[in-house]
Amino acid sequence: MQQVFSIPKSMKKDFKYTFCPGCDHGIAIRLVAEVIDELGIREDIISSTSVGCSVFLYDFLDIDCVEAPHGRALASATGVKRARPDKFVFTYSGDGDFASIGLAESMHTALRGECISSICINNTTYGMTGGQLGPTTLLGQKTTTSPTGRNVDYYGYPIKIAEHIALCDGTAYSARVALDTIPHINQAKQAIKKAFQVQLDGLGFGFVEILSSCPTNWHMTPEDAHKRVREEMIPVFPLGVFKEVSKDGN
Amino acid sequence: METNFILAGFGGQGILLAGTVLANAFMLQGKNVTWYPCYGAEMRGGTVNCEIVVSDEEVSSVHKQDTDFALVLNQQSFDRFVHRVKSGGTIVSNSTLVSDSRPRSDINYVFAPMTELANNLGSSKVTNIVSLGVLASVSDVVSKEFLERAVVKVLGEKKKDLLPLNIKALNSIENMCLV
Amino acid sequence: MDKEKVLIKGNYAIAQAAVNAGCQCYFGYPITPQTEIGEYLSGKMQELGRGYVCAESELAAINMVMGAVSTGVKAMTSSSSCAVALMQEALSYAASDELPVVLVNVMRTGPGLGYIYPAQGDYNQAVYGGGNGDYKIIVLAPSTVQECIDLTYRAFYLAQKYRNPVILLADGLLGQMMEPASLGSYPYPEVDVSSWALTGAKNREARSIYSVAREEKKQIQHIYDLHKKFDVITQKETTFEEFNIEDADIILTAFGSMTRNIKAAMNVLRKKGLKVGVFRPVTLSPFPHKRINELASLGKDFIVVEMNMGQMFKDVKFAVEGKVNVDLVNRPCGEWLSVEEIVSSVEKTVEGRKQYAASV
Repeated sequence: MQQVFSIPKSMKKDFKYTFCPGCDHGIAIRLVAEVIDELGIREDIISSTSVGCSVFLYDFLDIDCVEAPHGRALASATGVKRARPDKFVFTYSGDGDFASIGLAESMHTALRGECISSICINNTTYGMTGGQLGPTTLLGQKTTTSPTGRNVDYYGYPIKIAEHIALCDGTAYSARVALDTIPHINQAKQAIKKAFQVQLDGLGFGFVEILSSCPTNWHMTPEDAHKRVREEMIPVFPLGVFKEVSKDGN
Repeated sequence: METNFILAGFGGQGILLAGTVLANAFMLQGKNVTWYPCYGAEMRGGTVNCEIVVSDEEVSSVHKQDTDFALVLNQQSFDRFVHRVKSGGTIVSNSTLVSDSRPRSDINYVFAPMTELANNLGSSKVTNIVSLGVLASVSDVVSKEFLERAVVKVLGEKKKDLLPLNIKALNSIENMCLV
Repeated sequence: MDKEKVLIKGNYAIAQAAVNAGCQCYFGYPITPQTEIGEYLSGKMQELGRGYVCAESELAAINMVMGAVSTGVKAMTSSSSCAVALMQEALSYAASDELPVVLVNVMRTGPGLGYIYPAQGDYNQAVYGGGNGDYKIIVLAPSTVQECIDLTYRAFYLAQKYRNPVILLADGLLGQMMEPASLGSYPYPEVDVSSWALTGAKNREARSIYSVAREEKKQIQHIYDLHKKFDVITQKETTFEEFNIEDADIILTAFGSMTRNIKAAMNVLRKKGLKVGVFRPVTLSPFPHKRINELASLGKDFIVVEMNMGQMFKDVKFAVEGKVNVDLVNRPCGEWLSVEEIVSSVEKTVEGRKQYAASV
């Protein structure tokens, strides 16, 4: 009998699933693990972790990790990479960590063209603290700190992260993907792989923004949450590749 | 025995470099010495100065209210530092740019046309080194021999071609009668 | 390396000592009066093929250091006062994560932006820290350019030896002044970091360095362990200097470059017939509480001289446990208290004490 499905080798053997039911972090981390397996880089990895729900990465992945304070993952990763250019360095953070408190670090890491790969989970809210307005909260979206919905007068606009990162000259790859359907999940994995590959090829900063659901804080079933990703998020945050530098320099 | 110097002029006159040469000369002489500049935003425009303290013992404070010697290359510096010379101390002025006034009767005044002497050598850039020569000729603490060695050290291999000019500058005061 | 003395600025001395110590990466952001450190290292590190980043902020700079040192290499940043304030969060993390971060603070004037005048107003910031939680930093305070070199070496060594952040607390005066000093070479053995450094999980279990503690018991134990470690540091690494202590009735105390002024004041006062000694902590953290207490037990009064509103003063008062008098001679910032000013303040203090003693 052929085994067609198994736990990726890069996952820890004894992990406990600690995310909320229906949370997309589980899928995203699994995809990262699969890519690590396929590229055969587990033993070369030093990851800088973030603060937020994404912090739990080191509960799941069997890799070396160093903690960074909230928003400083990309600065920490830069330090790791400059100290050990031979190692594979990636970060995994939420939109709050990457694009609010850490926007300066994230942008400048891209601008410097650090050979680092970065995954950003965009779920339009601060999940760990219970669903507050974040940098990607959609216009009209109700959160605990935008009780009548995000309006421009009070809260301004959400940030389109992948497009901004694509504008940085040091960026080698920037894409936005989603996890709401099987085809999208497959695309997401390919995008993660590319964001990792540009680091291996020494081309620059590799970035993937992953549109994810947060059923708990959105007060939705997992199914409705994925429907929201499709119907409300994707129209504002279009999927696609915004920048891709290939090996021959194009 | 501790002696201190304030060197002052406007930006571009090479005051900090002159101070560096003087401090190196003291170091080569085997003395304890400190060099302390005014720094940062204070340097943007206006005068530049540095303080040198030389001592047989450990140098006490690096920055002092008053000074044994003031070496001033422009009028502004004269006006500012003439009041910080110790009673019985000496202010050495670049008479090309400083007018001969003597507002205090308890200090010594030395005037020498330093910029003019430097121009005569072909470059106003060596005014600072000329001024050190003047200082050496009026101070027992400063040795011209060690100043020469310090100039060699500070110019180093990279600027070796400038050495003859600077040595000339150091000695340019030799045959002048100081007033 | 040769022992020949060179006339060198404090900032360049620190920078070259870092190079000699094997500092593999420097990350920094400009601020007067320490900018020469970053300027010097920018060329030097590239020349040597080491890491250098003009960081986008001090927040980024210190976090880059944390990332770099987590891999087992030596790394540092340098900054000044108001910008070191931005690094306090990271220092708390680094202490908890036990990361050997080296931070040079060339103090300027505060609070707020203040100005570039030298000052010693960051004693509390360095020794007690502005980060959250119960953590301790090793703080070394040089008093001469030579010590800028020697203590930079020691900072890198202690950081790795104890896996604890170290602050080299210099001041604008030291950073900017030149003095003959000999660079020598890094005098300490290399510390084996292989048991904890992150190098990729090859032929061993994966390692995580983090401070997040979701189990209360573990967090309690972690804090106890950190403090136990610092007890060892206190026992083994507390250093200080003493001059003319034996027969002294009065001990002048200062840290950093003010030390040279109180030594000169001591000489003047001795000539005037006052039995004055000097006690100078080299490590501000761990602070030499024990030794100060011993001296207090011998009935020696203390006068603390510092360029702030009395920050180390409180530690000295705490250390003497009320056994003797402790007075403060200070100015908040700017021009260092001159030898003459210190002498006259000490004389006034002594006179005041005499009058008080006669009145009771």
